[in-house]
Amino acid sequence: MTDMRTEIETSSAPAWAANRWMRLAALIIGGVLLLAVVQSVSDTSELTTSGTWAAALRLSVPIMLAGLGGMFSERSGIVNIGLEGMMIAGTWFGAWAGWSYGPWQGVLLGVAGGAVFGLIHAIATVTFAVDHIVSGVAINILAAGSMRFLSVVTYTPESGGGATQSPGIKSQIATFDVPVISDFFNWLEAKRIFFVSDASGIIAGLTSNLSWLTVIGLAIVPLSWWVLWRTAWGLRLRSCGENPYAAESLGVPVLRMKYYGVVISGALAGLGGAYLVVVQAGIYREGMTAGRGFLGLAAMIFGNWNPVGTMVGSTLFGYADALRLRQNEAVHALLLAVAIVLVLLAVWSAIRRRYTPAIFEGIFGVLFFTWYITTDSVPSQVVAATPYLVTLLVLAIATQRLRMPAADGLRYRKGEAV
Amino acid sequence: MRTRFMRKGVYVALMLAFALVAAACGGGTNETTTSTAATGGTETTTTTTAAPGASTTTTTEPAGMPGEGVKVGMAYDIGGRGDKSFNDSAAAGLDRAKEEFGIEVQELEPTAGGENREENLRLLAEGGFDPIFAIGFAFAEGVDRVAQDFPDTTFAIVDSVVEQPNVLSLVFAEHEGSALVGAAAALKSQTGTIGFIGGVNIGLINKFEAGYRFGAEYVKPDIEILSTYLTEPPDFSGFNDPAKGKEAALAMFEQGADVVYHAAGGSGTGLFQAAKEFTEQGGSKVWGIGVDSDQYNTVDPELRDYVMTSMLKRVDVAVYTTIKNFVEEVPQDPITVFDVKADGVGYSTSGGFVDDIVPQLEELKQKIIDGMVTVPDTLE
Repeated sequence: MTDMRTEIETSSAPAWAANRWMRLAALIIGGVLLLAVVQSVSDTSELTTSGTWAAALRLSVPIMLAGLGGMFSERSGIVNIGLEGMMIAGTWFGAWAGWSYGPWQGVLLGVAGGAVFGLIHAIATVTFAVDHIVSGVAINILAAGSMRFLSVVTYTPESGGGATQSPGIKSQIATFDVPVISDFFNWLEAKRIFFVSDASGIIAGLTSNLSWLTVIGLAIVPLSWWVLWRTAWGLRLRSCGENPYAAESLGVPVLRMKYYGVVISGALAGLGGAYLVVVQAGIYREGMTAGRGFLGLAAMIFGNWNPVGTMVGSTLFGYADALRLRQNEAVHALLLAVAIVLVLLAVWSAIRRRYTPAIFEGIFGVLFFTWYITTDSVPSQVVAATPYLVTLLVLAIATQRLRMPAADGLRYRKGEAV
Repeated sequence: MRTRFMRKGVYVALMLAFALVAAACGGGTNETTTSTAATGGTETTTTTTAAPGASTTTTTEPAGMPGEGVKVGMAYDIGGRGDKSFNDSAAAGLDRAKEEFGIEVQELEPTAGGENREENLRLLAEGGFDPIFAIGFAFAEGVDRVAQDFPDTTFAIVDSVVEQPNVLSLVFAEHEGSALVGAAAALKSQTGTIGFIGGVNIGLINKFEAGYRFGAEYVKPDIEILSTYLTEPPDFSGFNDPAKGKEAALAMFEQGADVVYHAAGGSGTGLFQAAKEFTEQGGSKVWGIGVDSDQYNTVDPELRDYVMTSMLKRVDVAVYTTIKNFVEEVPQDPITVFDVKADGVGYSTSGGFVDDIVPQLEELKQKIIDGMVTVPDTLE
């Protein structure tokens, strides 16, 4: 039964996928063009530089990994708001092993640390049917407290660490430039040709000075898509999140699958934490996750519980953060971009005779445009809120198309089917 | 129907939980929700039962010293002893006073979210400690309340002004110290561009930036200064986010700055990481400037070569002086400003990277002391 369904999906994949890839390509080119136009109209320079996109990539990977973690858990039917706590475990163990042994050991132990907290969440929610939210909140508190305790007992003043921070890790993971591509596009970026240099800046940013761990993180996106949608195991996992009783009746070991989902979730969040330490900070610092686990959840919802969508959502957060940290004025230019997108959406909706959304999008588009024209800058408080505003907008517009797994967050007990 | 409602509830709860944790991360000012208080309770148990030796210590020195019978209570802010910065500096002042005067000492530190700051003050007051130090501006509200409940106890708060008859406010002229390192940055810059990274965009940190800008422009009027704040209040995570600190610093280096000063607490290590990375990847030599303590001594040894100087904020001097006055029964002003003149702020020379410009820095310092130069403490 399961095999048959997989087969059907696979056989119908090419035409469907080609269409989707075309759309994706069109969206990307359109997006770059938009940024290029906005950049040339306003006085910013950072929207499409390689530096901004390299920073955006580094800032979005931990969020994305947490989001992918959330996806595995929720696809199996377990809501996981303990991602933040699992990420905290990942940062602490990543830094400890990174300091004691080396960066790659840090990555491994960070993953393991996250997985352990994932296991705790699984035991609580799957075996003992504790409310998922209650358990998740408990995980967050437990992780923060126990990492503090571990710091106190582990780091002596002589080690260079203390109650709130670790000593620096031994060395960084090697970075590399993608041969030829990186050089070529860096060269092209410097030419300052409209659109061409903008696109080159983005490509150069994403291909220069890459950490191997970034590559691994990005590879998890297609990998998790493949596992969840192209293997029998993935179908079983998803069936537990959609209708566990139907899955049970077909012989799927629902409890075990949920365990897998939640533990993988913790491992990925832990990897996100380890990335934060090993690639970015080089040190553990209490509170360094700063809500990235929750941003991951938001990115996952934004991405409709899909890996590619989750990646896009976290890129949005990472890009907005990078822009804000690099050039405050650039965020002002984003207002123009948002206005243009909204107006285009309004036109699109009007063509498809969906007049109510068209009017809303049009009104908001005009509002954003007025805001852009009448001000020179965005207040810094609003700048900090930009990614969240954009997410809200996207959710408001796309909300009809978002669908969480049908049995997500519900209690499941074996053999309780009605 | 019911299940749909429940699942909506799940996400409402999720947002609530986010707010809760954000508040806990912020730690600064949030003491309102019951759930946060519950969080605090849980963590208190963890810390006190798990590591009693580390978080609370009571010691009595041998008799015959001037401070005999004086019981000093110390309530640290988040991080406590071992934070390599603010709290450690306060601890150093306390240790010195203990050694010299033989006072009795009790130290407490709050939970990671800082929810029980006020509780710690109250515990010390009930334990008969006098004076009681509150280390950090986040204690302001707590000190205000507890001081009214214990009118016979003297409280001392660092970095904030609390107007109560029994409270000593110990504040620093961070803008003056920042002016000195601003001058150092401008004098040392080869590119004519320097940077400032603030942890959180609040008045206290604006003070650092104002002084830094003033000092830099004082020695080089045409200097260009980049400035970034990592987070906006009430999100206080900017003081503990080295990843963001590093990205902000890398951006400044890429935009041509070659000296960057941070007032971003724990995010600051990211600055020195960025300086090392940028320098090693073929960029020219760039520098970071530390804050609060002499960061040359607190960063990882491999990062030392990138700490040009540090703006010293002598919390240890403030704590020591206050205890000394208390022991010797010297009356103290309700508000004491530890400025350049009182050696409360200054710059460090560890590593010898600024040795060549010390004469110019000393000249500016002297002018500030003499009142010939007034450093602004707010951004215009």
